[in-house]
Amino acid sequence: MDVVLQILVSGLTIGAMYAASTIGLALVYGALNMLNMAQGALLAFGGYVCMYVMDSLGLPAPLGLLAALVTGGVLGLAIYALVTRPMLGSANFETQIFIATIGVGSVLQSAVLHLFGPQPKAQPLQIPGGLTLGGVTLPWQNVLIMGVTALMLAGVAWLLGRTRAGLAIRATAQNRVAAQLMGIRIGRVYAQVLMLSGALAAVSGVMVSSLSGLLPTMGADPMLKAFVICVVAGLGNVPGAALAALVLGVLEAVIQYLFGVQYAFAILLALVIAVLIWRPYGLFGTRQVVRL
Amino acid sequence: MTTTDPPLLVCDSVAKSFGSLTAVRQLSFTAGRGEILGVGGPNGAGKTTLFEVMSGLNPATSGRVLLEGRDITHASPEAICHAGIARTFQLNACFDSLTVRENVEVGAIFGRSGRMLPNLRPSPEMQQATDDALDLVGLSARQGLVAGSLPVLDRKLLMVAGAMATRPKLLLMDEPVGGLTHAETDLMMATVRRIAATGVTIILIEHVMRFLVALSDRVMILHHGERIYEGSAAGLVQDRRVIDVYLGEGASARLAALLREGRHEPA
Repeated sequence: MDVVLQILVSGLTIGAMYAASTIGLALVYGALNMLNMAQGALLAFGGYVCMYVMDSLGLPAPLGLLAALVTGGVLGLAIYALVTRPMLGSANFETQIFIATIGVGSVLQSAVLHLFGPQPKAQPLQIPGGLTLGGVTLPWQNVLIMGVTALMLAGVAWLLGRTRAGLAIRATAQNRVAAQLMGIRIGRVYAQVLMLSGALAAVSGVMVSSLSGLLPTMGADPMLKAFVICVVAGLGNVPGAALAALVLGVLEAVIQYLFGVQYAFAILLALVIAVLIWRPYGLFGTRQVVRL
Repeated sequence: MTTTDPPLLVCDSVAKSFGSLTAVRQLSFTAGRGEILGVGGPNGAGKTTLFEVMSGLNPATSGRVLLEGRDITHASPEAICHAGIARTFQLNACFDSLTVRENVEVGAIFGRSGRMLPNLRPSPEMQQATDDALDLVGLSARQGLVAGSLPVLDRKLLMVAGAMATRPKLLLMDEPVGGLTHAETDLMMATVRRIAATGVTIILIEHVMRFLVALSDRVMILHHGERIYEGSAAGLVQDRRVIDVYLGEGASARLAALLREGRHEPA
């Protein structure tokens, strides 16, 4: 029983991290049909900014997190202004932006390398200790990760479901032309979505690095997993992506316990292949592309 | 229509070509305030392209479009919406995963000018515009449903409600009754009359001639991007060219009979 709970705790933590790095990706794809390959670099940037603010400037953790959030938002906005906007009107936007963001990712990753060096660093945002209930230990770090992710998910759900900006995002995701004709400034919507997704990526980068440590390439693995989750859930489906992330996180923890760490990713990918065979539009997707 | 006012909409020598294909050529016409202008013509005549030009999705290659004297030829679709032109589509263009009310709210919130205020919730004024638009088309009772679950007629009415929620001066309707039954067409006709009664100018494209002649103050028939007829609905059936290229003898005779039966169908 204790083992089951322990697996569940670690699985939900992994899932929470996946969810955090996935929602930004899903949001951008849903609203813009843009696969943001710079997501991984944004993750790393966020992690490093938090580290810099706490270690080099000696400021408290909440400020580190806030700095990461703001930096991510600014970078997202910059991606919109410098890359997405000039390409929006072009034919094959989806392919072009996919390749362009790979370039953006390389630039950002090189910037991290240049600014902070290639050596692995520790993320100072750590809460030591944990809660021991019966035989199960719940590290505060895991509680923090799950808490921050829950806050992010709730924030995104509230924004999309309950605000005017959210309505504009959902309408634009559904039908760009109709949204424009009903007066939505879609340029502004795109800017908001990329800013939001940049901020979410940076915060999730802080969370990921608090467990795995900081490396300029640290974003690659979470981004790959985020893509996997997006595809499993149905591209652009935000609530589906969050749910799929949690389920896959728990699944990964179970596989790690039963078969060993090395099988986790292989089985995850096998699962994706299975999903693509039986439900090419994703578990929560529908045949016609209904997004968000 | 009052003749003393300057026209609401002026299209001045509007042309639109896609490469070597000319969809609309040198077309000039006006629409007065409160008028219903019917646009007909065979497939490929350039009717929908004309709407694309006016709504800013595909700006004119040459010529000018003026709304209330203001040049909107090259304005963005959003700006044209804010200037007062709304549009419904031939095919379903609702936001399928949004509720009926949310669909209309989009128009009510974003359709009017560009307030920069980042208000989180719709203002009472916007709520009112949403309620009014839903009442206008009779969808108030279904406002909680998801748009994707609605039958065809309700989707068409929902598009009209969304457009009306932007509080337009000019409403462009692209085949509002295409694919509807006789009874549903009558219902849409009553809806269009209610909209016209609020003073909104309407330009409608329709192949269902019964609908077009019953509603239009004036009819314009396009063929290969050019106007081949402009005038009263009654004059259509006497125009040789319209009969030849569009109506055909049979439809023309039926339409003439319909016109004789009474100009005004019960609304």
